[in-house]
Amino acid sequence: MKKLVAVMLSLSLVLVGCVAVAETATPQVELTVFAAASMTESLNKIAEMYKTVAPNVTLVFNFDSSGTLQTQIEEGAEADVFISAGKKQMDALDVTASADANPKAQDLILPDTRFDLLTNTVVLIVPEGSTKDITSFEDVATDKVSLIALGNSDVPVGQYAQDVFTSLGLWDQLNTDKKITFGSNVKEVLSQVEAGAVDCGVVYISDAATGTGIKVVASAPAGSHKPVNYPAAVLKSAKNEQAAKDFLEYLKGADCSKVFTDIGFEIPER
Amino acid sequence: MDWFPLLNSLRVASIATVITFLLGIWAANGITRLPRALKGVLDCILTLPLVLPPTVVGFFLLKTISPKAALGGFLLDSFGWKLTMTWYSAIFATTIVAFPLMYRTARGAFEQLSPEWEACAATMGLSRRFIFWKIKMPNCRAGLLAGTVLSFARALGEYGATSMVTGYIPGRTATIATTVYQLWREGNDTLAYRWVMIDLAISMIVLIAVNLLEKRGGRQYAGSAN
Repeated sequence: MKKLVAVMLSLSLVLVGCVAVAETATPQVELTVFAAASMTESLNKIAEMYKTVAPNVTLVFNFDSSGTLQTQIEEGAEADVFISAGKKQMDALDVTASADANPKAQDLILPDTRFDLLTNTVVLIVPEGSTKDITSFEDVATDKVSLIALGNSDVPVGQYAQDVFTSLGLWDQLNTDKKITFGSNVKEVLSQVEAGAVDCGVVYISDAATGTGIKVVASAPAGSHKPVNYPAAVLKSAKNEQAAKDFLEYLKGADCSKVFTDIGFEIPER
Repeated sequence: MDWFPLLNSLRVASIATVITFLLGIWAANGITRLPRALKGVLDCILTLPLVLPPTVVGFFLLKTISPKAALGGFLLDSFGWKLTMTWYSAIFATTIVAFPLMYRTARGAFEQLSPEWEACAATMGLSRRFIFWKIKMPNCRAGLLAGTVLSFARALGEYGATSMVTGYIPGRTATIATTVYQLWREGNDTLAYRWVMIDLAISMIVLIAVNLLEKRGGRQYAGSAN
């Protein structure tokens, strides 16, 4: 027993030593970016590019559904930048938003740093080689589809999908038929379609572009859902406000716009 | 209130418990007769799901039984069996995750039984089957029951692997665990609290049962296998 304690103690000393050495290295700015799961590929690519632009900045990403990120920020997660795939999740943290959109009057972002970074298109996808002949959102209510993957009501793409099916008058029927499996973010929906576990799913066109073994069969009918905006802002809790602002500025540039448009995002007028 | 998650959880956990009960005892009884090296390796593999994150179990399961995986695709094409995104998909996940608890507890119970008894019975010409059913099983009853209750509790509480292979289809695959997660995500705290209370109540009952069984058995079972 004594021996074991001695071993554990010396091991922890060694570990503490390692940490101490690491901390004395060149001072680096670490920027924590909370971003919608649909931005995973594009932001990872941009992070590589940003290394040459600002070598002293290390970008740390947390990708998840915007609703999850919103909750994490509300619960005090340390982050510098928030990029949401929905207006709703950003509004809930923005003190300048209407009382309806921000009922708790939370003041967690710097409103003057907020802008709409991207827009996106909502599409219906099926596994490649699917023989079910699904070609439209209306088909989902027919016998061709026994299971569809959607984001839950907390995930922006889930809300947009609900908008689409509601405007087609199919939402209640899909629920009564128990045809929907609810994923907790857009990448989960994509994985389920890729794995062929479901007949189809609703994602953004930018996710469809990064998926493998899937096929886009339809875009959401015009006007069937709220516009898909990606608002970005610096958070009040940012430890490096200037570095965060610089990064958002960089995202507006032509280099980044190309990365975004390459996989299907669109750049809004601003 | 829709009671489906409770019924589904109980259904999945009960079936998984029956399977782990049989498999666990079979493995625990069989492994003692194996050569030492093989025994060590097998023991490791059989206990692995206890220490692995359930998401790893879920990942392996998906890579095996999902429609685009080799085995899953074969079963779907030849028999029309779809093994993911159904309520019974959860049985695979929970069985694997709960198995080590049954196996290790059963093994502990068997090993605490004095080996002389078995040897003695054997010298009297009793068959191995007789020894197993009439000597080992009755004498290890409390330990085996405790293992069963623990497995049931684990199966009931499993979330990670289950959510990966069943998704969350309200009224079809939802369990208490996945329902609580979704309700929290949707900000429906009132209903989430209700399910949390139900789950707490079930868990308390299960734990009290384990304690009673262990007291009655008068020995320590869980974790005593080495």
